[in-house]
Amino acid sequence: MTPLLEIRSLSLEIPVNDGLLRPIRSVDLTVERGETVAIVGESGCGKSLTSLAVMGLQPQNARLSAERLAFQGESLLGLDRRRWQAIRGKRIAMIFQDPMTAFDPCYRMGDQMAEILRQHRPVSRAEARERIVALLRRVGVPAPEDRLDQFPHQLSGGLRQRMMIATALLCEPELIIADEPTTALDVTIQAQILRLLADVQQETGVGLILVTHDIGVVAGLADRVVVMYGGEVVESGTTDEVLGSPRHPYTAGLMRSIPVPGRTRRGQPLGHIPGLVPRPIAPLTACGFLDRCEFRHEACAAAPVPLRSGAGERQLRCLLPIETPRQPAEPLVAATAIA
Amino acid sequence: MSLLEITGATRHYQVSAGLRRGRVLQAVRGIDLAVEEGEILAIVGESGCGKSTLARLLLGIEEPSSGSITVGGRPIGAYGRVERARLIQPIFQDPYSSLNPRMTVAGAIAAPLEVRGVGNGRSRLAAVHEIMDAVGLARYLAGAYPSQLSGGQRQRVAIARALIGEPKILICDEPTSALDVSVQSQILNLLARLHRSFRLTIVLISHNLAVVGHLADRVAVMYLGKVVEAGPTEAVFAEPRHPYTRELMQAILPPELGRGLPELRLKGEFPSPLAPPTGCAFHPRCIRAGDACREAVPELAGSERLVACHYPLREPVHA
Repeated sequence: MTPLLEIRSLSLEIPVNDGLLRPIRSVDLTVERGETVAIVGESGCGKSLTSLAVMGLQPQNARLSAERLAFQGESLLGLDRRRWQAIRGKRIAMIFQDPMTAFDPCYRMGDQMAEILRQHRPVSRAEARERIVALLRRVGVPAPEDRLDQFPHQLSGGLRQRMMIATALLCEPELIIADEPTTALDVTIQAQILRLLADVQQETGVGLILVTHDIGVVAGLADRVVVMYGGEVVESGTTDEVLGSPRHPYTAGLMRSIPVPGRTRRGQPLGHIPGLVPRPIAPLTACGFLDRCEFRHEACAAAPVPLRSGAGERQLRCLLPIETPRQPAEPLVAATAIA
Repeated sequence: MSLLEITGATRHYQVSAGLRRGRVLQAVRGIDLAVEEGEILAIVGESGCGKSTLARLLLGIEEPSSGSITVGGRPIGAYGRVERARLIQPIFQDPYSSLNPRMTVAGAIAAPLEVRGVGNGRSRLAAVHEIMDAVGLARYLAGAYPSQLSGGQRQRVAIARALIGEPKILICDEPTSALDVSVQSQILNLLARLHRSFRLTIVLISHNLAVVGHLADRVAVMYLGKVVEAGPTEAVFAEPRHPYTRELMQAILPPELGRGLPELRLKGEFPSPLAPPTGCAFHPRCIRAGDACREAVPELAGSERLVACHYPLREPVHA
């Protein structure tokens, strides 16, 4: 069966004053129906751009190339504006990080939501209203009829995000892309919104791409994980494989830097990844993570590192052995740390 | 006597609502807290709980509507502006907006000394270099502008600027919320180290229990302008007594497999500070609430472990 979304060797190049930015370098990604795939990484790793490219929303001067970019077996490459409009918002929907800026502050919530529905479906105003109220009730918005007449600023952050999820569900999409859906929310609201996303997916069987930097969110929600660094996929696999035994030094570093009550000792230095995400300006001539890696050796500097497959579904872009688990050398990190 | 003492502090704001008569927003509704010298106290709560207002009161940027805040036994309002700035310094959430984009790193860090007229240009630059070393900023960045720095570097500049005048107290309002996790851990490590080497007293304000729990000696949990629970970090984490604290703890998503999503037992939404619920402010959301909770405001009681709840939890949550 064809996957819901299939991306092979997606690259993005953006001409800038001093050369060519390469924020996405040959990324592979597949999403099946009913599956949640998380894309994880620090800011500037290309995770948001990858998800925008799936929607055809890459920056205007960007050059996109891919071996294959297909949704339900149908290629998305080179679609014109009209064909895109039939897909965007209808078959692929997006949930943004900040619901305050995603809604238009000058229009009532009900009108904004109805516009989207009526753009894609031949429904009357009354029918649209009925469907919106039903969906708002479904996502746990109290007093949904009253909300339709409110403006975005009159709603709390949690309510706005629930209404954003309802908006994404309006046209019964087959794929939802959620870009940091809970980053702007309080912790208790985050838990409720993630629960809602999980329930919605269970009911509708929609495919979900979850873009996040929070490994805790990934552990709670995702079936598979794709870890991105410097525009490349550096590790991928099932959530159990990747989080259970992270093999790439970057994945391991991300996981060690998070304080966990009861497990990390209070006041003890947390692990961290020294250095910064590099600006993706030149073609890679070595491992992209070279400068920040605690395990680097000569071979890493010789040539770009290919993505290799291991047992199960795991793929890894690292010269270190895939199968032998290694305990990251903590003292080494502490010694090189400036902080 | 504690270094920093908050006694019955409240802060109200007049809110205009179009043609209607102004209403009163009670951001801080009566807080008693003491911070000992050399301690790290964390204040935790969600948006709208008044934690940032409390930070502004502690910095002396705003005066409490009633109650008092004293530093070293003297009301904070009695200090002059410069005098106060020598004693207490802030670190804000967003290093993108807390630094002047037209000032170099060295200029921003040296500004507090310049305002006070300490030393000459050369001695100030030496002090800047010294503090840049201490916070882990390479010296070649001294001439850089904020736009040339990463988020973590900017937060280090903000920390260096706060520390150059050798203050006694640091008020950190969400110091890592705008940063990536790997950078967050560096800033947390840095704060822990500076706390030791500068013998700082730190008030750490955050919505993330896991982050503050990692640094703080004591934790105070706020809900709608009041402290609902306070105590030593380990004790509060191991055995939360207030139902709200327990929900906050449950909501933490650790990067561990097999936990699934947390099942929260919170009803409804965060109440509006314009119309706080009667009795215990948490009662409309609490699954344990009884009649007493709707009528009487629970007092913050206890000695080391303080809790404001009519029916506090007793048993540990995690077996």
